[in-house]
Amino acid sequence: MTRLKLLAAAAAIFAAPAVASAECDIDASGEVNVITNFFETLELLSNVMKECESDELKIDVKLTTQHKEEREQAFAASSSPYDASAVANSSITMLQAKGQLMPLNDLVDKYRDEYNIEDQMLIRFGDEISAIAFMANAQHFYYRKDLFEKHGLEVPATYADLLEAAKVLQADESVDHPFGAAFGGPGNWERGNEFVNILLANGGELFDPLTSEPVFNGPQGVEALELMGELLNYMSPNALTHDFGQVRQQLQQGEIAMAIQWGDQAATMDNENESIVVGKVGFAPAPAMTDGGPPATTFWWDGYVIPKNLDGDPETAFQVIMHATRSEVVAANNDITLWVRSNYAPSEYSKAVIDSVMANAPPYPMNPQSELAHGAIGNNIGDFLGGLESAEQSLADAASDYRSAAIDAGLITE
Amino acid sequence: MKTKSFLAFVAPSVATMLLLIALPLVGVAYLSLHQSHVKTELVELTTEVPLIGGVTRKQTRVVPQSVLGEDGKPIQVWEFVGGRNLEKAAELNNLAKAFASPRGDPGEKTYLARLYREVTNYDFWSALEFTLLYTFLTTPAILVVGLALALAVNSVSKRLRGTLVFATLLPMIVTPVVSSLAIYWLFLDNAIITNFIEYLGLGKFYFLADKFTIRTLIILYGVWFAAPFAFIILYAGLQTMPRDPLESAMIDGANKWQRLRYVIVPHLTPLLTVITLIHVMDAYRVFEPILVFNADIFANSVQYLTYYTLAFENNIHKAAAYSILTIAGVILILVPVLRKSFREYRIST
Repeated sequence: MTRLKLLAAAAAIFAAPAVASAECDIDASGEVNVITNFFETLELLSNVMKECESDELKIDVKLTTQHKEEREQAFAASSSPYDASAVANSSITMLQAKGQLMPLNDLVDKYRDEYNIEDQMLIRFGDEISAIAFMANAQHFYYRKDLFEKHGLEVPATYADLLEAAKVLQADESVDHPFGAAFGGPGNWERGNEFVNILLANGGELFDPLTSEPVFNGPQGVEALELMGELLNYMSPNALTHDFGQVRQQLQQGEIAMAIQWGDQAATMDNENESIVVGKVGFAPAPAMTDGGPPATTFWWDGYVIPKNLDGDPETAFQVIMHATRSEVVAANNDITLWVRSNYAPSEYSKAVIDSVMANAPPYPMNPQSELAHGAIGNNIGDFLGGLESAEQSLADAASDYRSAAIDAGLITE
Repeated sequence: MKTKSFLAFVAPSVATMLLLIALPLVGVAYLSLHQSHVKTELVELTTEVPLIGGVTRKQTRVVPQSVLGEDGKPIQVWEFVGGRNLEKAAELNNLAKAFASPRGDPGEKTYLARLYREVTNYDFWSALEFTLLYTFLTTPAILVVGLALALAVNSVSKRLRGTLVFATLLPMIVTPVVSSLAIYWLFLDNAIITNFIEYLGLGKFYFLADKFTIRTLIILYGVWFAAPFAFIILYAGLQTMPRDPLESAMIDGANKWQRLRYVIVPHLTPLLTVITLIHVMDAYRVFEPILVFNADIFANSVQYLTYYTLAFENNIHKAAAYSILTIAGVILILVPVLRKSFREYRIST
């Protein structure tokens, strides 16, 4: 039975883009090479891109979680083997600051009608259109409705409320731990991300925009980090090695009662093949740091860029991207992610993300300094969370690592 | 052999080594002595990004933007920085400060304890600590385990040997990232082993929660992964073991242990040296389990730092500096082993 279901699911995934496809009629020859991260939505878009393959046109999409290293080197070279790449808020910043991205204004004008390009898909830096966004995402709060009801708990509005709820849930034998969050993750990126979420909601900033000097190590930062330390008391002792994938499994396996998780994962809670808590998980915006403050989360978008130094034809690459992200693909695959296009029909799974917008959650800061600060923070705050040193010391170490990286990147001059 | 024909024979391999080993090394050294970036200036810019359902948000902020040169292209700055990358990679400045006065920590009273605490807080030195620990614990372990396996397989009937050799080699055949992941998955929350321990009534055990268990797991993984390599070489060595000395030893009344200690091990010594040499090089570059366990506060490695700097800091120059430090470390550790085998070689010729 399970195997049958798996087969059916697999067939559905493969069939989905086929249902969506009017045939792709790009009249071009040569090659389009794309490099992207690897997750479900990008896999789908890559399959749709392949529809444009013909005798004259070869399309190759490399899906890899190591996309960043390759892209940085390719876009900085004299000629890039990749004609397009998928990026997000954070990864676009350095490419854009270095002037490596091709402005897409002319192509957007030319193909606006043919592909029904909508304004909200255009990522603008000033007048320049640098990327075409297809999906949005934000982390939010996941909780076990049944357990909240059992203990008479309300959805926490602030992290102080969350800690109160955690104390109550600590005594519940049906879950191993009250709370889960990605406090580990590859390169400690996810650990840094949780700090950034809480810091910004706490009124803090990562750096001074005029000098690029770090400011995340101020009192708001120390408070944010100390909160993470308190949360850790209610999480699995293994939490410092957990990434978002493990948090999802913990939720699906009924090991935890509350979590912070990406919004596009909401539907997986009700996937009977993976989850034993189908129908029991509720969604809400992340808790705030202050009463009535914004939720402790940031908004992300994912989109495609074309480098200036591509070795193929930018117009063909652009058409392939637009073919993959057109309205029909959104309509045929509505629930797999949070699409940016207006024909996306929000479901119960995207409500928490929409509520986060209404509660004024900020976009992830699109500055190259953020990426460097984020990395340095993730790499250093583990020492505090692991009980090796004080929060102040960890953040001071992070600030000094960030300065060093910013000097190497030419963003701070000594 | 004439010098001329000798040169003709080795020329292809010398050329290949120069091209594929020496040249990249020179390149890495060159990169580590430089630093490069695109010249930027701060510009006030309005960015507009999508949130959801057609809602977008505009933000005006000061953002670094590339400065264009006369040719209309962004200006690339490429500068010689000498030892700065190496100094930053090894955190020499901090090290000097730490020695002068290590950070006060209420828990640690003595100078040495505080010094250890601070020095192991620096990426390179904490990575070096675990790298050395891993190297010096796994090397003797794989020699012992490899020898034990070789003796065991050698003592079973010939019909079974082929299957046993293959089964023993399996850990070495599996790709390291895959086998690291397999081990990691065994020890996660509610994984097979943790569940089994709970089932036995021993309670919940969190293997990834502290330094000691994570380090133990990674080192055990290292032994499991590399012992087959020692095994196969030693097993081959055992096949060359002449029967005469063994039989003489038996006539002289040597027991099993004495035969092993005084006849078999001396016969295998050159092989043990080769295994040590190769494994030390491999172990010093330990990477996959560090990447997979993702617990660099507890266990880090010098090779992982190279990767981290390249992948997450996108700083090819500092990553090159870490590579140089890795190579220097390997050479330093190998010198005693190489000197020993060179001396033995001189004695034997």
